[in-house]
Amino acid sequence: MTKQLDLLDIQGHVLRAYGRFHYPVARYIFLNIKDESIGRDFVGAISKRVTTAVEWGSGPGQVEQPPWTVNIALTYQGLKQLGIPRSSLIGFSPEFVSGMKERKDILGDDGPSSPEHWDPIWRENRETREKDVHIFIALNAQFSKDSDLLGESYDWLLGVIKEHQKGVAVLGGHRGDDGALLDYQDAKIVMENGLPTAKEHFGYTDGISDPVFEGVPYDADRINGRGKQMEDGSWAPLATGEFLLGHIDEAKEYPPAPNPILLSRNGTYMVYRKLHENVATFESYLDEHGKKFPGGKELLAAKFVGRWRDNGAPLTTAPDADSKAEFDKKFKEAEDKDDKKAIDDLLCNFTYDNDMSGGKCPFSAHIRRINPRASLEMIEGDKPGSLKMNPKAFDTPGALSNRRRLLRRGLPYGEVKDRSKDNGNHGIIIMMVNADINRQFEFVQQQWINYGNDFRAGNDKEIILGNHSANDKFSSKAVIQVEPDSDETPYILSKIPRFVETRGGDYFFIPSMTALRMIAQGVIDPT
Amino acid sequence: MASNISGNAYALTILSPIKNGLQDETAYADIVRNRLQEWNAENNSPMALTPDTYLCRFFVLDDVYTETLPGANAWDTVVDWLPFVPNFLRRWAWPKEDHLKSRYLVFSSNFYCGPEGTIDAYLRAMWIAIGDRIKEIWGYCYGFENVNDADQFIAYMKKCQLTATLFFVGSTDDPLNEQLKALYLKQEFAKFAIDNQGLDKTALRNNFQTFFDRVQPANLSAPTWAAGKYRLED
Repeated sequence: MTKQLDLLDIQGHVLRAYGRFHYPVARYIFLNIKDESIGRDFVGAISKRVTTAVEWGSGPGQVEQPPWTVNIALTYQGLKQLGIPRSSLIGFSPEFVSGMKERKDILGDDGPSSPEHWDPIWRENRETREKDVHIFIALNAQFSKDSDLLGESYDWLLGVIKEHQKGVAVLGGHRGDDGALLDYQDAKIVMENGLPTAKEHFGYTDGISDPVFEGVPYDADRINGRGKQMEDGSWAPLATGEFLLGHIDEAKEYPPAPNPILLSRNGTYMVYRKLHENVATFESYLDEHGKKFPGGKELLAAKFVGRWRDNGAPLTTAPDADSKAEFDKKFKEAEDKDDKKAIDDLLCNFTYDNDMSGGKCPFSAHIRRINPRASLEMIEGDKPGSLKMNPKAFDTPGALSNRRRLLRRGLPYGEVKDRSKDNGNHGIIIMMVNADINRQFEFVQQQWINYGNDFRAGNDKEIILGNHSANDKFSSKAVIQVEPDSDETPYILSKIPRFVETRGGDYFFIPSMTALRMIAQGVIDPT
Repeated sequence: MASNISGNAYALTILSPIKNGLQDETAYADIVRNRLQEWNAENNSPMALTPDTYLCRFFVLDDVYTETLPGANAWDTVVDWLPFVPNFLRRWAWPKEDHLKSRYLVFSSNFYCGPEGTIDAYLRAMWIAIGDRIKEIWGYCYGFENVNDADQFIAYMKKCQLTATLFFVGSTDDPLNEQLKALYLKQEFAKFAIDNQGLDKTALRNNFQTFFDRVQPANLSAPTWAAGKYRLED
């Protein structure tokens, strides 16, 4: 019997990237708890409306898809404020206790990304008790011509907050348009010519290869390219414990989690980050190097990420104009037939087995750094400067990456009104879900995004997200590799500026429905 | 070849007993530790001035005490399990403790010893370069009061030497100035590649000649990466 998760016990946004399920807008609200008992009542009231991971439909065991969703998560201070006993609190991971601000050196949040430049809500967080972020609430809404569903959900939330206003307070201080400070963080998909897209503000399709793990019924046909790469070339779902506490992980162990088990099982950790995108810097850098790069500007843009900007075609499959044309033809056919499986296979079902030297997808490209698949198992190749797969090095092809996977949630925020300016209100709210923040998110951020040693790329950083410095003495570079048997020379991207800046965030715990009810009742008892 | 020599690299391990004394209500060993920790605050370790040092480490060893592990052999396990074994027999199988008679200054260094594989030249150069700083640290060790020159220092160190094989990872066995020059060339060449990409053959050849003349690959003394330098801005 295959593993079945208790979908009714797991919060919906852990298993679903709502954007993909036709919720194009979201609003994130953060609260401070002033009174423990009212705070618990508030959590109880919210819990009654929290969206679970249940299957949507009209079949048995299914419920109708809601017009808007509600999800909740808590910081360490929030859990403390809600009266979780100390013997439970000590079971949470040290980095979760510390919070994102204190981990800035590990995360590379320096220069323009350092906490003093964050939005006021995040700058003031963890400084005084009154300004501490305790509760996170996410509202996601469908689009409707007739009504403002997000507004409806927000009104509902404000109503619940009002009923508990002696115990909870909304924390403002999210930067919006023209420097306005708002009580919430809005996020929405990027529109292009009046049509919704899955793109972020640099023009890339985002979040394609989100991991798939065991027990999620609606991901059962999305395993290829998203699960873990197996020796025979097939794909298998990752172990549930990589993303949910209380389940066996890739090391066949239970991830470290607080007691009692009912507090942690089916819960997980979430990293909330507001990332500002410097569109003008990006455009001008791409223009400048696009003129010099042998393959032209669009290929260079694709090299930054590992996918073409127009349809997300992976460079491993479509490394040049000819193969791209062929890909586009197949992609169009699949789109015309609305063949989701075929589209998915085209976008996701690839490996780096035939690109071990990075000639197609560079080692510092976004998708190769975030999810290297089996590409880290390389040794010196036969030609100078080339690398090849060493299948004997590890038990499984994904041994070095399977424990570093992250579920990515969230949406872009703001709108780019002037592509020649960096300082507009535009970026991404990214929420990464994992069972171990240190092993998964922080490792990827520190070792794979801001450092290149695992990729034999010295200290080259990931091109898009790296905390680059254009300073002459410490300037960032990245090499765009070429095929080892070609006559071309590698292209070196020099003085890479900071394309993306951190504007705030923190670490959260997403409790299961059971845990939420127990927290609300004040009956968490590890003894 | 001795096990503490690998090619032209030498792994030196020195254990010098620190006197059991005190000064201003602080034990000598704690003074030594404190002085070593103050070295961290200096721009560079004094050891950066000691020629041909690849990597080195100082620490104060307070004590070691466990000689055997519980249940280290089959008999201990049997004794532990049997209910009728009298307590004195059971306790007899407990781990035996052994303590150091004093606290030790431990100095572990990897350096280029050359084909002759001896430590004399290295220690002599160390004494000449940082003799005063050596006295600051070793001055609290037994017998060091008789050390007044390089020969006496070499003799003292040989008495304290343990022929252990503590090699650090991260270095070849080439002379230090060759390694530093290689590091310098690698960095400069990366910059050259960035600054000159896309140029035609003639320009590239000309610029390379200029580059070559500037970096002087065969000249090990200059220009090069300074020993002990770990910051770009210096």
